Amino acid sequence: MVSQTSPMLEDAKPESATERIIERAMKIYQNYILRVLLQAVLTVWAVTSFTFILIRLMPGNPIDVLVEQILVQEGISYEEAYARVASSFQFDPDASTLDQYLDWLGDLIRFDLGESITSPGTKVIDEIARFLPWTVFAVGAGLLISFILGIVLGMAMAYYRNSPLDHLLSLFASFITGIPNYIWGLLIVIILGIQFGLFNVGQLRGTYASDVEIGFNYPFISSALAHAALPIITYVISTLGGWMLNMKSSTMSVLNEDYVNVAEARGLRDSRIISAYVGRNAMLPLFTQLTISIGFVLGSGVVIEEIFVYWGLGHYLFASITTRDYTSMQGVFLILTMTVVMANVLADLGYGLLDPRVRVSGEK
Amino acid sequence: MGKMKDDVVLQVDDLSIVYHTIRGDVKATNNVSFELRKGEAMALIGESGSGKTTISLSLIRKLPKNAEVTQGQVLYQRENGEVQDILQLSNRQLREFRWQDCAMVFQGAQNAFNPVLKVSKQFEDTARAHGWSDKKAVRQRSLELLKLVRLDPERVYDAYPHELSGGMKQRTLLALSVLLSPQIVILDEPTTALDILTQRAIIDVLNDMQEKLNFSIIFISHDLSLAAEMADVVATVYAGEIIEIGPVNDMFYESLHPYTFGLLAAVPKLDHEQDVLTSIKGTPPNLINPPSGCKFHPRCRFVLDRCNVDVPALTEDLGSHLAACWNKEAVVEARKEQV
Ligand SMILES: Nc1ncnc2c1ncn2[C@@H]1O[C@H](COP(=O)(O)OP(=O)(O)O)[C@@H](O)[C@H]1O
Ligand code: SF4
Ligand SMILES: [Mg+2]
Repeated sequence: MVSQTSPMLEDAKPESATERIIERAMKIYQNYILRVLLQAVLTVWAVTSFTFILIRLMPGNPIDVLVEQILVQEGISYEEAYARVASSFQFDPDASTLDQYLDWLGDLIRFDLGESITSPGTKVIDEIARFLPWTVFAVGAGLLISFILGIVLGMAMAYYRNSPLDHLLSLFASFITGIPNYIWGLLIVIILGIQFGLFNVGQLRGTYASDVEIGFNYPFISSALAHAALPIITYVISTLGGWMLNMKSSTMSVLNEDYVNVAEARGLRDSRIISAYVGRNAMLPLFTQLTISIGFVLGSGVVIEEIFVYWGLGHYLFASITTRDYTSMQGVFLILTMTVVMANVLADLGYGLLDPRVRVSGEK
Repeated sequence: MGKMKDDVVLQVDDLSIVYHTIRGDVKATNNVSFELRKGEAMALIGESGSGKTTISLSLIRKLPKNAEVTQGQVLYQRENGEVQDILQLSNRQLREFRWQDCAMVFQGAQNAFNPVLKVSKQFEDTARAHGWSDKKAVRQRSLELLKLVRLDPERVYDAYPHELSGGMKQRTLLALSVLLSPQIVILDEPTTALDILTQRAIIDVLNDMQEKLNFSIIFISHDLSLAAEMADVVATVYAGEIIEIGPVNDMFYESLHPYTFGLLAAVPKLDHEQDVLTSIKGTPPNLINPPSGCKFHPRCRFVLDRCNVDVPALTEDLGSHLAACWNKEAVVEARKEQV
């Protein structure tokens, strides 16, 4: 972090533009990138270590879960079932948690996430690579749509404040925000799917129909969109209200700023004032909230994906939790944490692009 | 459209403005009339709350939403002699009129520049909104103007607003105000937020600019020494009325209205800063229920019996020097005694 803000031009000694750019880049490099990287690594390490312990505090372990299942299904003796499961798993339930942790950390440093405990031979990284893109797609699309809609509607509310439109939209925003997203998921399934029969929930299992070929072709893309539509709608509905209300209040305060008044006195066109003078400034505080929202939506996505049987990372995590597949769970939590941290860094950099005042100092 | 003298660029006729509030109508401008000549600088002086800002905002139709112009017209004469009433312009005409014909530096606008856009972008925006999109030409003209206001042109032009100090921003705004060569520039207390040295610099720059570019100025100030330095004509505003108007020397040395006289009597003889406008006895009048007759009568030391009944009108005394008062003779006498 550069402690001083950019120098007043009056005080700075003359130097060429390229020199200034290089000097600036060096400062950012030395301070900003390093700081951000270090923070990111530390965050990922802390969160994953914490979840490593939490996972092992859950009742039962991978062997217990499967043994119980076999006992119910096949009616063999406990010892027999245990021996069978234990021999097929590469997992020693008697190893100390510390040993397991050090093993895992050692592998992790070599970027090795290990194999699934419950399906030996399956690499966790491959499973993640299979499921992650769908989650990123659904969550990303949902957030993007919701962010843009929220900004447009929020600005409209501010421009037409105290009109019927504003009152209606405010009511709508408070209403949709008040209901948790998994309830929205259930409501959509029950009301739209079952009551009105608008879609067949069963047919929308997975992320695309089994009879299409993956690639850049219409059947695949339309099928992928159809499968992702309900999770996306749920993400949009559950986050839209917040964006709308925040954008409204942010826009209202920007509308009182001198520079908007002066822009009108300068005879600028309304379109230019709305986009570059009001919109861009009003969006700034929402960018900070975007980073929080990304983590929140990714986390709650586990439940949403399960409700819609959407085969993303959440679905995979859910299955791993059921079987107490420790390695898979750890892998997913690691990737989720990394995604959130990365999204934060990107949003931070994006904020810097939008607000010149934070560019050099790296802080508001 | 009304007739205008050739050398007049702005003519305000019998203008009245009220603010609607829950406590009643604030009568902020009452039957105000004046003429602004081409290349002339007019100063509006008066206590805070007397209605100076209201008058100036109405000239570019930028009044707050609760304001209503109840009567009058504001005639503007283009260089080609065409006359328009600003109050009748369509939205499009108004947008074009603003800044291209009449630029305004608002009172207390610390953040006149959009913080996320470079100064250059904001100059270009202004030019493009008025149909001038040749960026190179805009840049060249802008650099000339920035130089005229004594800034390092290249550097300021490529800077973001937060990289400039308050005084630099104000000078940049002055340069921007004349980018489109308007006939009129309105400056509402342009130096109030600045320290004394910077104030001086701004006034020097303004005098320079006006000499070179020859636009008309409406200069609002409660600092009489600044007004004296800037203005050719001075108008005293009291309770939403122009109660005295005249050439700067007449106003300062031969004022005819007790209020102006009081203001000037309070000015220290040396050229020192002092907030003199608060030094007249009594409080500014309530503009929701203003005093009857002459609105100054509760505070006037020359008050006559008729003053709280009859409203004095601005009458011609010495050519272009007008004052609204029943007892000007007493003011003239009082000045003689002073000397
Ligand atoms: N938006 C408004 N609503 C109601 N009253 C206002 C508003 N703006 C100004 N006023 C009142 O109008 C009068 C004139 O104000 P103003 O033109 O700002 O005076 P000045 O610029 O001389 O200080 C004051 O009494 C002020 O309180
Ligand atoms: S008219 Fe009367 S009250 Fe008003 S200023 Fe003149 S003398 Fe004073
Ligand atoms: Mg004012």
